[in-house]
Amino acid sequence: MTDAQLLQLRDVTVRFGGLVAVDSVSFSVNSGEICALIGPNGAGKTTLFNAVSGNVVADSGSILFRGEEIRQLTPHEISARGARRTFQNGGLFRDLTALENVLVGLHAQVASGFIGLLFGNRSAAAEAAATRRARELLELMGVGAMADQKAGALSGGQQRMVEIVRALATNPPLLLLDEPAVGLAPQARQQLAAIIRTLARERGIGILLIEHAIELVMSVADRVIVLNDGRKVADAPPEQVRADRAVLEAYLGHA
Amino acid sequence: MSRVTRRLFWLIPLVLVPVPLLLNPYQQYVVNTALLYVPVGIGFNLVVGNLGLLAFSNVAYFGLGAYTSGVLMAHLGLPWWLTVIPAGMVGGVAGSIASIPALRGVRLFYLAIMTLAFGELMRWTYIRWEVLTGGSMGMAVPTASLFGWSLDTDRRRFYAFLAIVVLIVATTDRLLRSRFGRAFLAIKDNEIAAAAMGIPTDRYIVLAFAWGGAVVGLGGAMFAISVGHLSPISFDLTELIRQFAIIMVGGLGSLTGGIIGAVIITAAPQVFTSFPGFDELVFGLLIVLVILFLPRGLASLLARAHPAFVDRYYRD
Amino acid sequence: MMLSLLPQLLVSGISSGMLYALIALSMTVVYRATTVVNFGHGDMVAAGAYAVFVFGLGFGFPFLVAMALAIAVLFLAGFATQRFLMQPIVAGPHLSLAMMALAVGYTIRGALRLEWGTETLNPSRPYPQDIYMFGNVVITTDDVVICGFVLLLLAALFLLLQMTPLGKVIQATFQSQRGAALVGINVPMFHALMWGGGAALGAIGGVMLSMITPLTPDLGQWTLVQGFAAMTLGGFGSLGGAVAGGILLGITEKLLGFYANTVFIEITGYLVPILVLLLRPQGLFGRRAIVRV
Repeated sequence: MTDAQLLQLRDVTVRFGGLVAVDSVSFSVNSGEICALIGPNGAGKTTLFNAVSGNVVADSGSILFRGEEIRQLTPHEISARGARRTFQNGGLFRDLTALENVLVGLHAQVASGFIGLLFGNRSAAAEAAATRRARELLELMGVGAMADQKAGALSGGQQRMVEIVRALATNPPLLLLDEPAVGLAPQARQQLAAIIRTLARERGIGILLIEHAIELVMSVADRVIVLNDGRKVADAPPEQVRADRAVLEAYLGHA
Repeated sequence: MSRVTRRLFWLIPLVLVPVPLLLNPYQQYVVNTALLYVPVGIGFNLVVGNLGLLAFSNVAYFGLGAYTSGVLMAHLGLPWWLTVIPAGMVGGVAGSIASIPALRGVRLFYLAIMTLAFGELMRWTYIRWEVLTGGSMGMAVPTASLFGWSLDTDRRRFYAFLAIVVLIVATTDRLLRSRFGRAFLAIKDNEIAAAAMGIPTDRYIVLAFAWGGAVVGLGGAMFAISVGHLSPISFDLTELIRQFAIIMVGGLGSLTGGIIGAVIITAAPQVFTSFPGFDELVFGLLIVLVILFLPRGLASLLARAHPAFVDRYYRD
Repeated sequence: MMLSLLPQLLVSGISSGMLYALIALSMTVVYRATTVVNFGHGDMVAAGAYAVFVFGLGFGFPFLVAMALAIAVLFLAGFATQRFLMQPIVAGPHLSLAMMALAVGYTIRGALRLEWGTETLNPSRPYPQDIYMFGNVVITTDDVVICGFVLLLLAALFLLLQMTPLGKVIQATFQSQRGAALVGINVPMFHALMWGGGAALGAIGGVMLSMITPLTPDLGQWTLVQGFAAMTLGGFGSLGGAVAGGILLGITEKLLGFYANTVFIEITGYLVPILVLLLRPQGLFGRRAIVRV
């Protein structure tokens, strides 16, 4: 196991009652690498994703993040360790402004402790610093102008961007994107692809994403992992997967 | 809200200081009551309005705080000022206990029912633990004193209460404006996303419940010496509706709303003579009307009047 | 352990349990129809009790007429509450729904107290009180009347739901509101009617209470707690569960009250929701898991 192996799944299995949703899946994601998780509906992608982020507890196997076992950790513990996720829909705090959403994203890094907040001015100073940083981040991603609008009132593309900014706020080494392109127009999709590429290449962030938009996946992913009926069917660069028989069967079989 | 306007709020307690000189004893008593209900409203609002959980156990903290203070004074002979912190602590512990179902994922009506039952269970305890509480007949609360200075008049109690309430308002305001307060709102808005952002939701839920309970417990300690006599009937479901009226009329999730609500709900019954049942009827109707026509309470009117009056953590 | 008293305890337990069953059933009808818990339901039951008193002893109507009038009045009250107070805010936060129902209940309680706060109305039975002995078990006419009436009512309701077209419509709408709307059922009207129906059933419970206990305006408080306890025990949302829960609650109260400590007669109603929701949230017969995060 090398240092660059950010996320490593070994024989991860998730059962719901009698149903095996994820069946002994193994793969890994390295720093600076973009891995796409694809497969027909019901293949187990979302369940696997949730197992990594802690929203679902895998029944067996091992999920290592930077060498540490996270299979049985809670979502907030996993997030605190640097694996941050977005949600397919309903991930934002709708009644909070875009700025406040990012501030929540920065939560762990706002330097105000409980006792300190009762006395002294550290709390106010910490808040001001966090606010400045949050605005910068929103600005960088092109949504600075809507910082003070309620997140629920933003357009779909803007909401998506805010959610990504929020997830990135703490400079996490691993980013988990749950269908980031869904509902986006083609131009917005291209923007998204460019951002994902930048995050991986220039910031060295490891990215695992679920996607149904095949063109996006092909243009962005370093490796594509294909699931079918809970099992891993392929794990290779996009061009190889495109021609893979088993993959074709998986999709055709479910058509 | 600008720093300047925030500082202006500190003028309010200063302005209140000479007020007792203008009031007769009865009016002073009413003002005291409004004052001690401020933390009751604030604590309730914190959990229901900011954290967004249906915890109907507020009267439990109020009663436990009151009885803790009363019992320590009557049975252990402690002076009132020494019972204040225990009353707050008991309220805080009760709040933490009430948070247990919430930690286990119980929400909505189920949580409301459980916390309601918890409140009633406490009231049953006051009735049954006669040795300690005097049972249904109640117990007399000895005269309070503050470091030897006797608080035997409403006017003196006013100043003691004012100091405590100002402290509570100031610290709760800081809490709500900090990252903790923002985390409460995040949890209320989208609990799963909040956890995904690294917020330890369990811990914060307990924090909100405990703080809310403690603050209401302190209100209870003040209540004990203001009325001078405690009986279980003061902490029944009628009291709960009064406390609901405070936060609904004032404005859910708004600290200012909690204060306004406390003042109005205390002052209102003074305007009309009170027959038994009138309180319930009026508060019930008031809540119905508020929900239909002013669901965000008076704080929403204030917010529309001038943004300076809006608490940052209040959502319209 | 004085097991010889067990039959007696079971009998009185079932008797009070039947009453709880009726109350829980009336609350469940409302809950199944609209997924809203009517926190003011206890006070509506109490209003039913006072209403039969007003129509009977007040206006002088014969008992059955007074009861019918009380049921009608409460039906209207339930219908109006849903139609004019709940329906407008149905899309709002759950807190508002809970508070609105609670506030309506309090308004009723306040009105009752304003009118009768200082007096306690004595129970008035339309039948002569008597007792029957079976071995060493005492059965009072109260027990017979209540159990008999509730059983008849349950049978009638069962027949209504299972055998009549109306009953099928009700069951269908309980199961799927969207489906019901698609086939042309006026769902908002259904909601209002079910609140009316639930209130009417509750009123019957109130009438029974008026026959066996003295009435005070705080009756609603106790009724609400008992209703919740029975519903939670049987499984929230289950009609059969409400009945089973009610009977079980009645029996448990009596047994614990005698064999453990008399305090349990008072506090079982408080303890049950807390314990059941913590340990086995779906109760005995609850279908789906309760809302969990």
